[in-house]
Amino acid sequence: MLTDLAGGFVVLFQPMTFLFLLGGFLLGLFFGAIPGLTATLAIAILLPFTFGMEVTQALVMVMGIYMAGIYAGSITGITVNIPGAPSGVMTSYEGYAMMQRGEGPRALGLSAFASLVGGLVGAVLLMFLAEPISRVALLFQTPDKFSLVLLAIVTVTIVSTGSLWKASMAMAIGLAISTVGIDPMLPVGRFDFGSYYMIEGITLLPAVIGLFAICELFVQAATPSKLAFGDAPAAHRRLSPRDFVPSGADLKAVGAVTYAKSSIIGVLIGMLPGGGASMASFIAYAEAKRGSRRPEGFGKGSIEGLSASEAANNAMCGGAIVPLLTIGIPGDAVTAIIFGVFLIHGLVPGPGLLANNFDVVAPMFAALVVASLLIFVSVLIFGPLYMRLARINRGILYGVIAMVSVVGVYASTYSMFQMWMALAIGAFAFGFRRFGYPLLPLLMGIILGPYFEEFLRRSLIVSEGSPLIFLTQPFSLLFLVMTAAFVWLLRVRPSRRAPVRRAPSQP
Amino acid sequence: MAQRRFNLQAAFATFLIVLNSIYASQLVELGLPFAKGGEPGPAFLPLALCLFIYVAGLRILFEALVCPETEATAEPTPGTVPGLARFGPVAVLVLTALYLVAFPWTGYFISTFCYTLLIALFFNFESSGDLRNAGWKSAVSALAITGFGWLFFVQLFGLFLPVWGG
Repeated sequence: MLTDLAGGFVVLFQPMTFLFLLGGFLLGLFFGAIPGLTATLAIAILLPFTFGMEVTQALVMVMGIYMAGIYAGSITGITVNIPGAPSGVMTSYEGYAMMQRGEGPRALGLSAFASLVGGLVGAVLLMFLAEPISRVALLFQTPDKFSLVLLAIVTVTIVSTGSLWKASMAMAIGLAISTVGIDPMLPVGRFDFGSYYMIEGITLLPAVIGLFAICELFVQAATPSKLAFGDAPAAHRRLSPRDFVPSGADLKAVGAVTYAKSSIIGVLIGMLPGGGASMASFIAYAEAKRGSRRPEGFGKGSIEGLSASEAANNAMCGGAIVPLLTIGIPGDAVTAIIFGVFLIHGLVPGPGLLANNFDVVAPMFAALVVASLLIFVSVLIFGPLYMRLARINRGILYGVIAMVSVVGVYASTYSMFQMWMALAIGAFAFGFRRFGYPLLPLLMGIILGPYFEEFLRRSLIVSEGSPLIFLTQPFSLLFLVMTAAFVWLLRVRPSRRAPVRRAPSQP
Repeated sequence: MAQRRFNLQAAFATFLIVLNSIYASQLVELGLPFAKGGEPGPAFLPLALCLFIYVAGLRILFEALVCPETEATAEPTPGTVPGLARFGPVAVLVLTALYLVAFPWTGYFISTFCYTLLIALFFNFESSGDLRNAGWKSAVSALAITGFGWLFFVQLFGLFLPVWGG
């Protein structure tokens, strides 16, 4: 097997194949960094072009897009507080706070380093543990999946700062939005108000663009230019690649445990259908906060939170490939499109693929490793360019964002209705931000809602309506215990301790 | 000021409760949960969410009415231009809505040029306070952005955009 893996690297470093990786990487970087454009869209657009490529080149290019696209979601998140992809939300939460303190290069460097670590861990685990790990994931039954989604939903809600009622309200509204359209199990339209546009439902693309890009336009329009990016000192001096290299002290402060734990969380969640980079990022972030010695720093520019989120979402890439290659089940939209790339070239992902066509798959594994390394190289080369996103003329920056966001929705959906929907969601989200309701739970509700409902209903059908099924399944029980532990550790215990701490200073 | 924020907080909570009621009005069309044995049905989760949103909404409304001082969570938007916090978002909302109306009729080029020109003008004028300077900068920016969008979406990725409308 090691010989075959080495052969994969040899093939990858052939000039033409490497150019495809590089091209895919740059494409992913561009798509991931621009709000509203995602790695999924980039790979989807690339799909017809793969007809004319060799299968190895196509797979290598797709891996470059995937890894770079997931990482790049954090770039505009850190610099202008608009994550290019949902998986960059937690990173932007911490990274933008650092940017406002004038620590943009530090945030970008740590983000790229964490992505490098996560990407490498994901790729190595994919190479050596693909089959055994996916066998464990195969043991998860529907109630287990429901409890896992519940864990993600509850975790995201309780880690939100501010009022728990407002965060819960945001999550419930997100879940409610996800119920609009065709029922996931029966051919019944719901909440369509008699409009055939509404039967289509509120899809992820206008939701993400509305919540982040258009809402950010409103917020920036309400913010005087002097206050828009803060007076970031690093933004006013000439930057060199060295500014983006994380210091030893920072790496020590984050800690090997955080990197390792977050990467493993990313791989494990990536292997689960519906897991995805967002869930990996959210759960790793919550776990980092739970295990941190400085949990009070989270939400205010924590390098632990930023690193945990980034390591997990790039580790997810390797994890998501595991079930695709070994059991032929794509776990998310990107792996579903990669499934299509295999089929176009006459290969069927599944148990026989690794045994019979390892020579085809090995360069793909190698591409994940090299793309992880390219992430860090890219921040050294393009880091100063990323920082200029915060110094760019606001008229140009928000003109481009406005155009790409609105036209991007049309170009992806060919639907004027979805454009209006993005605007409506943007206005709604602005109200949320104005009155202190967190947007994160709202987005997670929209993303995870369909899985949450489907797994819940399937489980209850099996148990004939008895909720005890969630307690009798071992994995489900484990996830529920973890949920309860997270609630206790992140909300109940701190709120009990808070009055005791404040008591001496009270008059 | 505290009184005003309190009123807006309560008004927004009320707005969410009203939206929830509109959502709930469709529940009757989905039937009762567990009407067919063990199948929870399409109404199960929406009904549970509806009830939860009412409870949470009323709780938030109650907090806003009883102790408004704890609800000072609104995003601070201090500004050097009077009324920017209120005028800015409304201006962008109106411009974007007009763009969406114009897009299918006038096509990509005209509508996008006008939209990006006005968006850039808004931000540039707010930054410099000089209308003439902001005007020419915005015109150049809008021309470049419109051209970039066309090259990117249509020429590079072969996506369809209505060129001149109609």
